[in-house]
Amino acid sequence: MPNILVIEDDDIMLKAIRNILGKDGYVVITAKDGKEAFEKLENADYEVVVTDLMMPYANGLEVVSRLRSDETKRNVGIIVISSVGNEETITEAFRLGADDYLKKPIMAGELLIRIRKLLSNKNSTSQLVTKKK
Amino acid sequence: MWKDLADLLFQAYEQYSLLPLFIEIALAFIFLAILSTLIAYGAILHKRYRAYVYEKRMAFISPKIEDMITEQVLLNPNLGYDIPLESIEFDPNALGDKIYRKPFVRQMLIDTLIQYRKNFRGEVGELLRKLYIDMGLDKDSFAKMKTLRWERKIKAVVELTQMDIPISDVTILPLTNSGIPALRAAARNAYIQLSKNEPFKFFDIATEPLLPWDQLEMFKIITTTKDIAIPNFSRWVSYSTNKSIVSFCLKLIAHYDQQSTIPAVMELLSNKDHYFRADAINCLGKLSAEVAEDKLVKIYNNQPLNCQIEILKALGRIASGKHLEFLKSEFLYSSNFDIRMNAARSIIRHNTQNSRLMVEELMEMTHEENQLIIKHCLNPLIKY
Repeated sequence: MPNILVIEDDDIMLKAIRNILGKDGYVVITAKDGKEAFEKLENADYEVVVTDLMMPYANGLEVVSRLRSDETKRNVGIIVISSVGNEETITEAFRLGADDYLKKPIMAGELLIRIRKLLSNKNSTSQLVTKKK
Repeated sequence: MWKDLADLLFQAYEQYSLLPLFIEIALAFIFLAILSTLIAYGAILHKRYRAYVYEKRMAFISPKIEDMITEQVLLNPNLGYDIPLESIEFDPNALGDKIYRKPFVRQMLIDTLIQYRKNFRGEVGELLRKLYIDMGLDKDSFAKMKTLRWERKIKAVVELTQMDIPISDVTILPLTNSGIPALRAAARNAYIQLSKNEPFKFFDIATEPLLPWDQLEMFKIITTTKDIAIPNFSRWVSYSTNKSIVSFCLKLIAHYDQQSTIPAVMELLSNKDHYFRADAINCLGKLSAEVAEDKLVKIYNNQPLNCQIEILKALGRIASGKHLEFLKSEFLYSSNFDIRMNAARSIIRHNTQNSRLMVEELMEMTHEENQLIIKHCLNPLIKY
C-alpha cells in the first residue's frame, strides 16, 4: 500500500488523520513539524504528503516548495490542509506546486477520496511516461 | 507547650510596646511583608501542585479518551455507508466505563470532543455531536450554565455552541445583556450561531454596548456561519436606542448591500450625535446611494471635520459625477490638509473622462503641495 506522510502540529488532528488513513489501508508516517518532516522525507519515499500550513520551524508552504525543488521528490502528491482559507494562501500553495487543498474542518471521506484521486492520477501519468519511452 | 508559646508571644508584645513608635511601625511593616511573601509562595506552590496533578491525570486519561473517540467515531464501521446517524449506536461498554463518571474526566472528554469537532465536519462531525449527547455531556454543560460563576457560564455557552446544541431563549437571552462583557460577548455569539430563525433578536433588548472587539468577532461569525437568516437591519437603525447596535447595523447594511435601507439610514443624517452621522454617511457611500448625494453636499458646511471627510469619501464612492465641481473647490480652497487629500482621492476615484480631465487641469493650475497630494492619490499601490 502507498506510503503517506502526514505533517501536523496538532496532536489530536495528527492522530485522527493517521487513524482514518490507516483504516483505509495506507502506511502512514507522521511528523509534528516541518523540521521532523524534512528528516523523514530524506529517509524514505512517499507517494503522498498531507501537510498542515501553520507549523513550527517550517510551514506547509516551505514543505511544498522544498518537495517541488527536489528532482527526486517532484512526483510526490501534496495535499495542503489548513484553517487559513484566504485566497492568497491557497493560490500561493498551488503556485508552489501543491496538488490539492482542504480547509479545516475537513470531511474524513473527502480526504480519502482526494488521496485516492491523486494516487490514481499519479499512476496514469507514470503509465503514460512508460508507454512513451 | 502552648502556654510557653503564649508567654513568649506576650513577652514579645510587651517588649514591642516599649519600643519607639517609628520602630513599631517599621517592625509591623516587616512582619506584614514576610507574612504576605509566605502567603504568595504558598499560593504559587499550591497552584503548581494542582497543575502537576492535573497534567499527571491528563497523561493517563487523554490517551484513553482519544482511543475511545477514535474507535467509536473515526473508525466507526458504519461511516461512509449513508446510514442515518440516529441509527448508529456506540458500544455501551466503551461509553459506560466507570472512569467517564468522574467530573474532571467528563470535562476533559468535552474539551477533546470540541477539539475534534473543530477539525472535522460532515459525518464525523455529526457523530462527535451524537457521542456528546449520548454520554450526557450536554447535561453537564447545561448544569454549568446554572452556576453563579461567570467563567463557568462562558465555558458552558462555548461548549454548547461548538456542539451545536440549541439553548432556550429564556436561558440565553438574559446573558446577551449581562453586565460582564466577556459573558455578554459569548452569549451573543452563541445566540447568532444557534438561533435559526431570528439570530439577531437580542438586538431588541440590548442595552449594554457592543464593544469594538466584540463587533469584529461578531462580524466574523455572521459572515462565516452557514444558512444564517439575515434580516433587514434598518429595523434597529430606526428604533434601537443602543448606539453601538445602530453603528454595528450600519456596517452590516453596507456589507450586505441592503439598498432598501437607504431611507432609514438617511434619517440618521439629522441625528445630533456626529459620530452617528459619520457612520451613516460612510454607510451611504458604501451603498453608492446616489439619492443621498445632494443632501450630503447640502449639509456639508454645517458638519464637523469627521463628517465632512466622510461626505467627501462618500461622494467618491457614489461617483455619479454630479458633484465634481464641489470636490474641485474643496480641493483648491480648503485650508485643511485632510479635506484636500480626500477631495483629490474622490475626484480620482470617479475614473471618468471628466474626472481625468479635471485631474490634469488641477495638476497644471494648483500649487506644489496640492500637486504632491494628487500624485500621491494617483498611486494605485497606496490603498485607502
